[in-house]
Amino acid sequence: MGRRTAIIGTGQTRHCSKREDVNQMELVYEAATAALKDAEMTVKDIDAVVLANMELFEGRALPDMWCGEGAGAFMKHAFKISTGGTSGTSGAISGYYHVASGLFNTAMVVGFEKHSDGNTSAGMALTDPFWDRHIAAAAIGNFALSVSEYMADRGVTEEQSAKVAVKARRNACNNPHAHLQMPDLTVKEVLESPMLAYPVHRLEMCPQSDGACAIIYAGEELAKKKCSRPAWVRAAVTRHDHIYLGEVKNRLSTIRSLKEAARVAYKMVGIKEPLKEFDVAEIYDPLTYAEIAWYEALGFCKDREGGRLIDDGLTRMDGELPVNPSGGVISTNPVGASGTIRVAEGALQIHGKGGKRQVPDVNLVLVTGYGVYCWSDVMILSGRPD
Amino acid sequence: MKKDNQLEELLRIPVHMKLHYRFPAGTHYTRFFREMKDSGKIMGVKCTQCGRVLVPPRPVCGECFVKTGDWVPVGPKGTVKAYTSIYIKFIDGSTGKPRPSPYGSGLIQLDGAFSTINHILEEGDPEKLYIGMRVEAVLKEKREGNIGDILFFKTIT
Ligand SMILES: [Zn+2]
Repeated sequence: MGRRTAIIGTGQTRHCSKREDVNQMELVYEAATAALKDAEMTVKDIDAVVLANMELFEGRALPDMWCGEGAGAFMKHAFKISTGGTSGTSGAISGYYHVASGLFNTAMVVGFEKHSDGNTSAGMALTDPFWDRHIAAAAIGNFALSVSEYMADRGVTEEQSAKVAVKARRNACNNPHAHLQMPDLTVKEVLESPMLAYPVHRLEMCPQSDGACAIIYAGEELAKKKCSRPAWVRAAVTRHDHIYLGEVKNRLSTIRSLKEAARVAYKMVGIKEPLKEFDVAEIYDPLTYAEIAWYEALGFCKDREGGRLIDDGLTRMDGELPVNPSGGVISTNPVGASGTIRVAEGALQIHGKGGKRQVPDVNLVLVTGYGVYCWSDVMILSGRPD
Repeated sequence: MKKDNQLEELLRIPVHMKLHYRFPAGTHYTRFFREMKDSGKIMGVKCTQCGRVLVPPRPVCGECFVKTGDWVPVGPKGTVKAYTSIYIKFIDGSTGKPRPSPYGSGLIQLDGAFSTINHILEEGDPEKLYIGMRVEAVLKEKREGNIGDILFFKTIT
């Protein structure tokens, strides 16, 4: 571990399907200024800037150049991180490394995506030109394949999947930034929504959102001075798997990148019973089935028991471990920001600024990112520096 | 966010692009596609260390980080390891046009291969698809030397 580093400010836009009132740089500026305000800092206090974005979706190269000014990057150490769905968590981990290394005293990370500007389906079709492009059917198609394996292997049911969607969209109602807020959603409505790719219905999949999210890191001395309850980074681990989906056998069950990242992170912090020890988890759930699979991979329960966790309500707001009080990626998905939002929402719970989605007495928070065919990020945040 | 009347006044600038790319396939993909085009054979390559037969074949095993070794024929028969039926309209990356839906899609483990490949299934009805289903690659008559030379996988018994 490097020097003690904490998140001392977060800022988000209102995420929704279309932000036609702003361009990409203005969207970034909204999140960056919200985070600076939250941390009671000015742009002069920021030493390094990291942007996270999936530039293919907007069809504009070099987003760090075009949008950097909106994040206060002028005349600063600044660059972009792009690792698919994990972009936002990888960006957050990069920001942490900057400060933990001792080379920078502060860093701001801004994740953003403006899906409505471009063509996400075209962006997804621009996969490997020799193999994937011919048959690719977006994130939905490749996830649906994995769902068939996962259901057969772990016995999870359609109803259990739909319950995750209901939990997520209801939680989202407590989050003023969330995209899909559905207070009255039912299991029946989820299962009657249009089929995207068997067995995945529209309401079981994440939306495409426009939005940005910023977080600010500071080294120990400044963090203690500026923030009454800093969110200390206790672990930050990234793992990448193979390039082709076909080499990741039974992806949702095995998910070895997530299991390995969690194993290393848990060891760093001494976590033995994650369901009991964590107070909140903000996990990257691209679709309902993945959330159940991640419960098992993250050790919240044994294999084949993920469905029971949702049946018993253990991951609801009033359960033993509230998972995604924000509503998660299933409710809000500006993809380059989706990982950063997980980290910001986790930090917010420690800061005690969660408003209606605040979980009482939060000390230890688990955050994950998921990207590409099988890449994972895990972070552990805490109210205590060690 | 701005009010609706203010939003109306803001410009949207449409941009349409036609782009051209040319991707060198490298030694292993060249041999794979040429073999399939010329003789209708599907080939994998075996790692000298872990013994996995990789399809797509690559010069280096990602897991062992050593050069791969012998070429071995795989398929054309195989087993469905995962399946879906795609209902959304999705752009076919090789033509730029939406593919007619619904259609079957699967992860197929060709006989003799370690990895599976993602391809189109002849059977598109999710009620008739299952894990463990036996299928066989149907190749184009006039092959061009790309993955499109496999048209789809037909159901066999
Ligand atoms: Zn090997």
